[in-house]
Amino acid sequence: KCSNSSSIAASIASKTKTKKKHFVAQKVKLFRASDPLLSVLMWGVNHSINELSHIQIPIMLMPDDFKAYSKIKVDNHLFNKENMPSHFKFKEYCPLVFRNLRERFGIDDQEFSNSLTRSAPLNSDAQGRSGARFHTSYDKRYVIKTISSEDVAEMHNILKKYHQFIVECHGNTLLPQFLGMYRLTVDGDETYMIVTRNVFSHRLSVYKKYDLKGSTVAREASDKEKAKELPTYKDNDFINDGQKIYIDGENKKMFLEKLRKDVEFLAQLKLMDYSLLVGIHDVERAEQEEVDSEDNEAEDDGESDGGGVGTPPDSPSNTLDSTKPLSPGEFDPSIDVYAIKSNDGAPRKEVYFMAIIDILQHYDAKKKAAHAAKTVKHGAGAEISTVNPEQYSKRFYDFIATILS
Amino acid sequence: MSANCTSAAAVSASKTKTKKKHFIGQKVKLFRASEPILSVFMWGVNHTVNELSNVPVPVMLMPDDFKAYSKIKVDNHLFNKENLPSRFKFKEYCPMVFRNLRERFGIDDQDYQNSLTRSAPLNSDSQGRFGNRFLCSYDHRFVIKTISSEDIAEMHSILKKYHQFIVECHGNTLLPQFLGMYRLTVDGVETYMVVTRNVFSHRLTVHRKYDLKGSTVSREASDKEKAKELPTFKDNDFLNEGQKLQIGDDNKKYFLEKLKRDVEFLATLKIMDYSLLVGIHDVERAEQEEMDVEGAGEEEEYENDGMGGGALTGSFGTPPDSPGNPLNCGGFFGPGEFDPSVDVYAIKSRDGAGKKEVYFMAIIDILTHYDAKKKAAHAAKTVKHGAGAEISTVNPEQYSKRFYEFMSNIFVGPTPPPPTHAQLRPGGTGPSHLLHSSSSFLFAPARKLSH
Repeated sequence: KCSNSSSIAASIASKTKTKKKHFVAQKVKLFRASDPLLSVLMWGVNHSINELSHIQIPIMLMPDDFKAYSKIKVDNHLFNKENMPSHFKFKEYCPLVFRNLRERFGIDDQEFSNSLTRSAPLNSDAQGRSGARFHTSYDKRYVIKTISSEDVAEMHNILKKYHQFIVECHGNTLLPQFLGMYRLTVDGDETYMIVTRNVFSHRLSVYKKYDLKGSTVAREASDKEKAKELPTYKDNDFINDGQKIYIDGENKKMFLEKLRKDVEFLAQLKLMDYSLLVGIHDVERAEQEEVDSEDNEAEDDGESDGGGVGTPPDSPSNTLDSTKPLSPGEFDPSIDVYAIKSNDGAPRKEVYFMAIIDILQHYDAKKKAAHAAKTVKHGAGAEISTVNPEQYSKRFYDFIATILS
Repeated sequence: MSANCTSAAAVSASKTKTKKKHFIGQKVKLFRASEPILSVFMWGVNHTVNELSNVPVPVMLMPDDFKAYSKIKVDNHLFNKENLPSRFKFKEYCPMVFRNLRERFGIDDQDYQNSLTRSAPLNSDSQGRFGNRFLCSYDHRFVIKTISSEDIAEMHSILKKYHQFIVECHGNTLLPQFLGMYRLTVDGVETYMVVTRNVFSHRLTVHRKYDLKGSTVSREASDKEKAKELPTFKDNDFLNEGQKLQIGDDNKKYFLEKLKRDVEFLATLKIMDYSLLVGIHDVERAEQEEMDVEGAGEEEEYENDGMGGGALTGSFGTPPDSPGNPLNCGGFFGPGEFDPSVDVYAIKSRDGAGKKEVYFMAIIDILTHYDAKKKAAHAAKTVKHGAGAEISTVNPEQYSKRFYEFMSNIFVGPTPPPPTHAQLRPGGTGPSHLLHSSSSFLFAPARKLSH
């Protein structure tokens, strides 16, 4: 092989976007994971991005792209059994649409692939509605959520309008950044997964987390939840704790503008029951934790749970590593896109991560379910508020606007 | 990959060859081809080599590797329809074994992949037995042959011993270099393909071609064949022309040693009906052809009939751009020159030969098993002559001896001594004339061997 071609191409690599030439295709990716499902996810994303690299990027998306899928079925015999199951299927929904979305969200396909395939995604403690399963990419940039086939159908319903919304706001939104949607079949079981950008930082740890809806019915963390390492607190906890978000006027204005546009869009689509996920990074506390962990000096194998001390895993694809290291509380806004620093007058130096999550609940589907159940339930399972999407959006917005004052 | 490699190569380009640059989209491989099956082939080789790059190379092959396969089924909907069919299947047989063989034959997986995927393989004029389809990679390094499911079964039967043989001779053999074996399913139709290293050069044109078996029954090119651009001549043509290959004594000795080892191996596996494929590159003629082309001054379309046999219409064995090949990054070849690590079968004519030539010689078509033949012969109940089913009434042992005898006499110079009694296999039942010097055999008129 002509090894000089690698270095030459690297030197003429574009400097504008994070479009580095990646000569890591030669690295062996074993797709090793604790769970065959994760191996298949890794294999599948790797395969999907490779396939897409051989398809010319169209000038614009066509209607068919929103109905398209790619499907692949693997059936090996006495081959490659060490890390992969011998039989599995991988389906990607609307590959060209999600490629376009990744581009609009400033995510390079190779980097996306690397994040999900260089090392196995990690289980996350977080629980979604109805106990949906979460993983994060090993580098914590992306969240992988297991969803239902109904969610997949809903995604298909909203995808065109969602895409259009993203085009119009230039990717500048608090809505989830949908980056890929897949169906995995292992041992005859089908699992649907969706990948979104992590609301929290891939580096800075979150020590306190809230899930806010602006509702007051049963919006309080259970004792079981509070026992976790990083409990998900809710509206009532926020109020009772006297929690404040200290951001300056400019940031608040920009944030609320985005929020308003976003929830109006959701109301139009008749979506509701979404939350604002809030994560707080305490700069001094993080520095102290770092000092403590350095004292303990045990080389972690990067296997931190959700609330780790935010040491960045090795990530050559992260252009940040090639620049000077970040000081405490600092972040790269092109990666930690939701991060907002506390204002100068704040009692503690903090960084806030806030964005909307769980947007796939459609009002009509809800009403059907509610009528079938014939009861109004309280609790994490099926939080039916007796409002419609329009009302939900207003109540949501008002609550958030209030807590930011 | 990098454009830099191209320009460096162009600067130092050979002056005797028009080194045409092919800026085939390096990063984006569209797998564009004239037929869906070729697109699927390209996609499949690309995929399987990529898969293998994520499977660590084991210390040694295990028995299971010889029974293994990888299978993939693609079902796309409104996606990637431009160059590929929406539905197809691709199966690779014994991936680990062929990877190991490629390594032993000095072929890097990336280069292999590039040769077969950067641009569509080209159809070849050549016909194998039973009209099997031939293609060659766009860079003429590899031949892709369409085979039958029976051939696949035969390959599986011999694969372990073949592999062992390759290990023992360190890849130094005239046997076909089997590099990959696949089954493609397009529109519900299954096609089996095997990839081998091209016997001929990827650069130097072959001006004359022979398929030799050492048999004399109907071993002559038909008029139809002779009308082709590069006809495949046979034993009788060779003899009638008084053709002799002008290789030096050392080369001859070395060649015949390999040949002997190879045919003995084939005989032990009860394989027969193989041929020695011979291609002759005429150096002066090639130089003249090159000058003619430069005179015409055009960038020719790269349309060859494969096997490096493009005579006057196509390009003159100009190497396609191949940054993966260290060769293209430097150095250039004079007339009749070659890189022996790429053109592994090439032998130069000896000094003092009348014409400056380069010969390419290797064994082909080794998948006919004697038992399968006998079955077919009994079923047919006739002895056929002709390209279709050339049944000679010898057994593999006899076939190998007759073959070797004939080949040892196609070169100029003293005939090598016949194999001694000690070298002959016990129980050989060949007719007595095979034990003597074959010069009498050589000049004897074609006659049926009595059995």
